[in-house]
Amino acid sequence: MPPLFVDDVVGSFRIQQFESEISRALAENTFLTDDLLRQLMGVGEVDLLVGISSHGDASTTSHTLRAIERSFQQYFTRQRAVIVDVCGGGKDEGGAAAAGLSNVAEKNVRLAESASLRTVHRVTGDFSAPPSPGMALRTILAAADLLRARACAVVSPGTLNLAPDWIANLLRPVYQGKVDFVAPLYTRHKFQGLLARTLLYPMSRAIFGCRIRELYSDEWGFSGRLAAVCLNQDVWHEEPILTRPEAWMAISAISSDFRCCQVFLGQKLQSATGSGTNIVEVFRQTVGNLFWCIESHQSAWLDGERSKPGQTFGPDPELTSEPTDLNRHRIFEMFRSGVTELEPILSSILDLETHAEIKSIVSLEENKFKFASDLWVRTLYDFVASYHHTVINRDHLVQALVPLYRGVTFSFLVEHFDSSPAEMEAVSEGLCLEFERQKPYLKERWKAKVEVKS
Amino acid sequence: MARQGDNLWYKDAVIYQLHVRTFCDSNADGIGDFAGLTQRLDYLQDLGITAIWLLPFYPSPLRDDGYDITDYASVHPSYGSLEDFKTFLTAAHNRGIRIIIEMVLNHTSDQHPWFKEARSSRENPKRDWYVWSQTDTRYEGVRIIFVDTETSNWAWDPISKSYYWHRFFSHQPDLNFDNPAVLEALWEVMKFWLNLGVDGFRFDAIPYLVEREGTPCENLPETHAIIRDLRKRLDLAYPGRMLLAEANNWPVDIRAYFGDGDEFHAAFHFPLMPRMFMSVKLEDRKPIIDILEQTPEIPDNCQWCIFLRNHDELTLEMVTDIERDYMYDEYAMDTTMRINRGIRRRLAPMMDNDRRRIELLNGLLMSMPGTPIVYYGDEIGMGDNIYLGDRNGVRTPMQWNGETNAGFSTADPERLYSPVISNAVYGSQVINVDSQKRSEHSLLRWMKALIQLRNSFQVFGRGSIRFLNPSNHRVLAYVRQFGEETVLVVNNLSSSAQAVELDVRRFKGYIPIEMFGRNLFPRLGDLPYLLTLGPYQFYWFQLRQI
Repeated sequence: MPPLFVDDVVGSFRIQQFESEISRALAENTFLTDDLLRQLMGVGEVDLLVGISSHGDASTTSHTLRAIERSFQQYFTRQRAVIVDVCGGGKDEGGAAAAGLSNVAEKNVRLAESASLRTVHRVTGDFSAPPSPGMALRTILAAADLLRARACAVVSPGTLNLAPDWIANLLRPVYQGKVDFVAPLYTRHKFQGLLARTLLYPMSRAIFGCRIRELYSDEWGFSGRLAAVCLNQDVWHEEPILTRPEAWMAISAISSDFRCCQVFLGQKLQSATGSGTNIVEVFRQTVGNLFWCIESHQSAWLDGERSKPGQTFGPDPELTSEPTDLNRHRIFEMFRSGVTELEPILSSILDLETHAEIKSIVSLEENKFKFASDLWVRTLYDFVASYHHTVINRDHLVQALVPLYRGVTFSFLVEHFDSSPAEMEAVSEGLCLEFERQKPYLKERWKAKVEVKS
Repeated sequence: MARQGDNLWYKDAVIYQLHVRTFCDSNADGIGDFAGLTQRLDYLQDLGITAIWLLPFYPSPLRDDGYDITDYASVHPSYGSLEDFKTFLTAAHNRGIRIIIEMVLNHTSDQHPWFKEARSSRENPKRDWYVWSQTDTRYEGVRIIFVDTETSNWAWDPISKSYYWHRFFSHQPDLNFDNPAVLEALWEVMKFWLNLGVDGFRFDAIPYLVEREGTPCENLPETHAIIRDLRKRLDLAYPGRMLLAEANNWPVDIRAYFGDGDEFHAAFHFPLMPRMFMSVKLEDRKPIIDILEQTPEIPDNCQWCIFLRNHDELTLEMVTDIERDYMYDEYAMDTTMRINRGIRRRLAPMMDNDRRRIELLNGLLMSMPGTPIVYYGDEIGMGDNIYLGDRNGVRTPMQWNGETNAGFSTADPERLYSPVISNAVYGSQVINVDSQKRSEHSLLRWMKALIQLRNSFQVFGRGSIRFLNPSNHRVLAYVRQFGEETVLVVNNLSSSAQAVELDVRRFKGYIPIEMFGRNLFPRLGDLPYLLTLGPYQFYWFQLRQI
């Protein structure tokens, strides 16, 4: 090799740097494995795509696969369809074997006995990154984009009673060209999903102007168009996306003026290992995620108007009123102790007036306690504004909301213990309207210059 | 070429199906005849076909295209004489072409002397040659086949004041095979034609020969006993002759008609045909694979006969309701194209005259397990006339040239038994034998090459089939093997270019030779064998171990 001059060295360094950048960029852009790409090549263009993230759990995956396949057989006999099973780091060889699929080629091509006119493909995907719902969704979106899928759905193996008509209901509005995003509606016990009823739904509805009750669900549908848009967002390494990407997808659809709707699916039975039951973890994954979405989509809502009713397919969601075993006294005690413990943190998050009111209700006797809707809304808006201004560590901020939510839960349980489902609906609607009424307050706090306390 | 002296000749055959009436008119009466057909044998020999299946040419009132026979041992005067038939038969045999004729066992015309006698009085000796009843409730629940025209399987005979049984048109009374005299009479008919030298019979409507209360009156054990009896007589007296079954059933039911190799030599594979069309439209091999996986093994001396189109509607009996709806929607949107449970169209119009798809389907026909049957005119891509009523739209005169009457006849056009196709796309000015003979790249020349290639290898008629399952479902790939012959067939069922990786490790070391151009392809190895195919393209590779 001839001797290098200084310029050559610099040039060589630049070339190396450039190659390194290219390699990094390629690594990011080629998160699909060669094996998955090879399988997708065999599938070709499809009309329908259903994605699942099996997490290596063969026992629940087989039920889910059967439901999807039956859905294709019953409702989409003519359509080109594929199931994308993302294993997320733990490829489910057991599941494949259970289905009698002996080798890669076979398992990709044929499932069990099928009445579909066409081959129903199942491709199994893996990715090198640590397994996460976000990476699973990204893989599914990439498959949808590459296969030019017209209508897609994501379903969860954790849903024990996933039925073929659920999948059809999620796919059909999209396939028929009516919408780009389909959110599910479920039959709920009147005290089930209180977090969605008192926080996630009314807040997202007020801020983004779109009435989607189940932002955080395991099943949803979307168009290939929306898949392509979401896939190209530079968000896939963000923690909120990695843990709970579904609400972000819904909010992306709303923010980009994609057409959204809800479909009623029925009562959902979930496996015990499905969703986490630790309230703090649930908050981090949902409320933290929603706050992040509010932050990342601020340009879409800051100038937004009031929400409008969206299209809903199927019957209205039902509320059932079985007795609840929630320990109200314990919830109240946890509220009171939590707020007391977090007093310094709350003072940095909440507006003075809000903080004062919180302090005043903490001192109330249990039988006189009431967490008013307007205070709750203002509290939440203070939290999300503080999240925006990063007045404290954002994760800590979200966790600090948990005791206050317990207070609202207690108040809600006491106040509506004997309410009928219709009365509950009216209360929920009232809360939603309160969120919408106070939205200017949020905007004001959002835009205000804040001095971050050290 | 079919091997002379080989009793399994039907396995290697390429059969050409035609109606004498449609092929060539020698006496300017507007109707094709045996003399005209004889004149055209050179054309068929040149095409490479090795057998002709003649549709009914017997005397008949022609209310069902000749399947309503009034005399089993003669020739309809419109088609010539028995002497003309003998001349034709000899000429065909001289060219190495075997002749298969129709044997309509199930029923006669109501104008047949047997039926005239039978209905004349209840005491007539021929009375019991047909199936009679005083009520129309016997065999209740038995399905009606011609649902567009018939409302019952019983028809009232005002002469003998009884009902008679008919599975097809009411003017076609069913013969009573519970009467041994009927079988003997029909065996005499068969012997008559066998003695003249015909090589085989296509038995029409076989499942319906016998009726029993409480059954669907189809595929009954008694019917099989009759077939076994006839087969035994045939083998003893006329070895090397062939019986072909028309039984529009599922493969597992048709399988019974092969017996232990002691019933039919061959049978149509009806369910495969619509699925070939379906696969091409769906761009998915699943329908073909599914039906062939449901197709049971047959005895070594038996054979499936496969086809794309024939003189009847493209039958959709052997498909599911979902499949039938799909076929109607894709191939017969205009309801005029539909008849009974099927589609009355020819191959080329169904393929929108897309040469690539026509070639692909013919490629499938010639390479799948079974003996292929080419319907007359499909080798040049003839069109149809769906406005002619019944199934006459696919029975129009053969188009020989661009002259008057397409060279079929010198009669006045008004006198022809059927108008010639005359539209701008499929008319005889455009689609005809002479012009395609002159064009090196015509469909006719291509078909000739295809048939010749098939005739050069016994593997297509006799070989096993093993499907490869590449992940690309738009590609249908299979290996045919017979003795030392191994052929790999790869078909792209889709309208766009496809890449496919084939697992052919078991043929490691073999050299693929593309059979049409004799070009060598890279040797097969351990790795998946990558091929790219253009839209609707197919390859036949001879695999050689050199």
